[in-house]
Amino acid sequence: MYIQETIKTKYPPGDLALWIFICAELLVFGVFFAAYAFARANNIELFNQYQATLNTDLALINTIALLTSSYFVVSAIIAIKENQQQKSSRFLLLAILGGITFLIFKMTEYSHHMSEGINLTTNLFYMFYLSLTFFHFMHVILGIMILLVLWINTRKGTYTTEEHNGLVSGGAYWHMVDMVWLILFPLIYIMR
Amino acid sequence: MKYESQSVAKLYFIAAIGLFVGQIVFGLVMGLQYVMGDFMFPEIPFNVARMVHTNLLIVWLLFGFMGAAYYLIPEEAETELHSPMLAKLMFWVFLVAGALTILGYLLVPYSTLAEMTGNSLLPTMGREFLEQPTITKIGIVIVALSFLYNVGFTVLKGRKTVITLVLLIGLAGLAIFFLFSFYNPDNLVKDKYYWWFVVHLWVEGVWELIMASILAFVLIKTTGVDREIIEKWLYIIIAMALITGLIGTGHHFFWIGAPEYWLWWGSIFSALEPIPFFMMTVFAFNMVNKRRINHPNQPAVLWALGTAVMAFLGAGVWGFMHTLAPVNYYTHGTQITAAHGHMAFYGAYVMIVLAIISYAMPLLRGRKACNSAASQVAEMWSFWLMTISMVFITLFLTGAGILQVYLQRFSDEPMSFMVVQDKIELFYWMREGAGVVFLIGLLLYVYSFFIGGEERTVEEKV
Amino acid sequence: MSEVFTKSMARNIFYGGSVFFFLLLLALTFQTHEAWPERDNHENLTDTVRHGKELWEVNNCVGCHSLLGEGAYFAPELGNVYQRYGNSTDAIKAFIMSRPKEGIPGRRSMPQFNFDDEELEAIAQFLKYASGINTNDWPPNIQG
Repeated sequence: MYIQETIKTKYPPGDLALWIFICAELLVFGVFFAAYAFARANNIELFNQYQATLNTDLALINTIALLTSSYFVVSAIIAIKENQQQKSSRFLLLAILGGITFLIFKMTEYSHHMSEGINLTTNLFYMFYLSLTFFHFMHVILGIMILLVLWINTRKGTYTTEEHNGLVSGGAYWHMVDMVWLILFPLIYIMR
Repeated sequence: MKYESQSVAKLYFIAAIGLFVGQIVFGLVMGLQYVMGDFMFPEIPFNVARMVHTNLLIVWLLFGFMGAAYYLIPEEAETELHSPMLAKLMFWVFLVAGALTILGYLLVPYSTLAEMTGNSLLPTMGREFLEQPTITKIGIVIVALSFLYNVGFTVLKGRKTVITLVLLIGLAGLAIFFLFSFYNPDNLVKDKYYWWFVVHLWVEGVWELIMASILAFVLIKTTGVDREIIEKWLYIIIAMALITGLIGTGHHFFWIGAPEYWLWWGSIFSALEPIPFFMMTVFAFNMVNKRRINHPNQPAVLWALGTAVMAFLGAGVWGFMHTLAPVNYYTHGTQITAAHGHMAFYGAYVMIVLAIISYAMPLLRGRKACNSAASQVAEMWSFWLMTISMVFITLFLTGAGILQVYLQRFSDEPMSFMVVQDKIELFYWMREGAGVVFLIGLLLYVYSFFIGGEERTVEEKV
Repeated sequence: MSEVFTKSMARNIFYGGSVFFFLLLLALTFQTHEAWPERDNHENLTDTVRHGKELWEVNNCVGCHSLLGEGAYFAPELGNVYQRYGNSTDAIKAFIMSRPKEGIPGRRSMPQFNFDDEELEAIAQFLKYASGINTNDWPPNIQG
């Protein structure tokens, strides 16, 4: 009996409400991706033409930044499990830096587009490019704010080896943000 | 009834039901005008009947919401209402202002009404659902502010629960977004765009908060389920309502001059709008299944379950049916919209107000828990009569809409509007028939309040 | 067992989500304002048209007609009536003037509003202006 209970609480990790939220988020992105696929299928030439104007190098750097950042979040959770709160908070800080790196590069890209006078009404490709990446951009900001809260809590010693539900929940959200980008990157930048 | 001051709700509920009857009578007049074009012409032209029909709906729902708030907020806050006097005063102000406005619609030509009320000073009249003279609109704002002040202070001095908080956010949002009705730019595109900031953000935004919180209250009372569980659901439901509904506003921006990207944003987010309504259905049935008590007021439970189901059907399913831009391109501004509007308003807002009235009215009339068995049976009959006839009204209008779309917009040789209207006349007759049944159901509902007899015993444990 | 589904988490999702999406709505609204000058036909928004809009409102035309698909569905769509009447404001004016005072037996009929020439012109010009708005090709055909 007792063992079954503990197994139950371990899976899924983190807070159930958060998982519902993550599913809802993925649903929104999923519908957006489907719409993108639909629009692209009907306008392949337009999409290919303007896809070529995007800066794939910056996007690749951003992909690496988010992946590394996710790795640091995992490390932070492992550190907490080993009761090393100092180490955990340092990893979280690195994860936050990864997120900020992403924001900086993404803003560089946006300012480049803005200087060319590109906006939502320019054409269908840019509409999707800007909508999807900006929607994701806002999620990165939200994710960073969550990581900041986790970082402050970790420094205060809120989380322990036994009780670190909040850290796992926040970490799961960050992975979701990362994962969405991993779909966005090939979908918008690479796929021809 | 636990607090003396809750009794002000009774006034509001009685007025709401009275105006509801008026709304349906004018609905039947309009329905008849659809098939007998000269009916009551030129004394009550269609546009006047329609104004009375829609404005009465809005006003009686507002009466219902305010009555619900006056009933449940003292009980939730565990304290007397801040000022019962103010509540009574505002009731009469609102009722008189409403009655004068309706009389104005009926007795003088609309343009004369506009002139009499000085519309040219601050033109706000003549836009769908916001036809009220500017001075009435100002009156509505004053009533809403006094009301918010009254219930706000009640909550402040008492216990703060999630239900009261959500209800207050919803009601405050209602007042705030109504302010957009005073913005009427000359530019037609902007006028239409911001008009939706009242209409959409009301019915697909903050009103859902009001509905969900009243539903949560009725479910707590009638099922005895733990408050913690219900409040958690409440938060998740309203979160989904706003997350999908705010950007979902975009499904109104497809064809009114707003940029093309709204076709995508509006389609995507409004396609998700059924989710909160679906969750509400799951929530209501889940709570009733998990009930700890068998509440003797069966009609109240029936209305609560009914509102969850019908809101999902009317707002969720019928809304989704024509929300995607490629579909809406053909259905926009046809009887499909009318079909959706009827079932959504009935399911989501009429039924939730009737649910709280059904729960609260026996208590307000000094009964222990509920009405007599005979009265309950009559009320449940009225539930089925109204609900089923509304389903048929919706189906007939949908049929009319599909034909209209095909004949007027889709076929190879599109016909003109009036020719098509003649061809779909049969559906309008059937709709009118269903409307008569609805009125019978409503009259039975009113009659059920006057059926006396031994009241049922108090609640029992499951 | 610690609670997995906390109320505070649900609350945070509600507040966070609502604020987030409200800001998004504002951002898109801002972008919409940027896009309007090319679409909203404001260059033809003359004083006559303004007067026409006022007349449109104080006579509650939207109580029977729809305009760009919004309004009542009792009478024809007027967003493209200018084109339907052969790009002629005179034809619109003639129709409005011709409505019988006592209606048409058994049929729907527009009331006789007794407009003077200036008012008729204003309404016709307003409808012409409305027909010039870029509506993403709506309605599907001339019948509205």
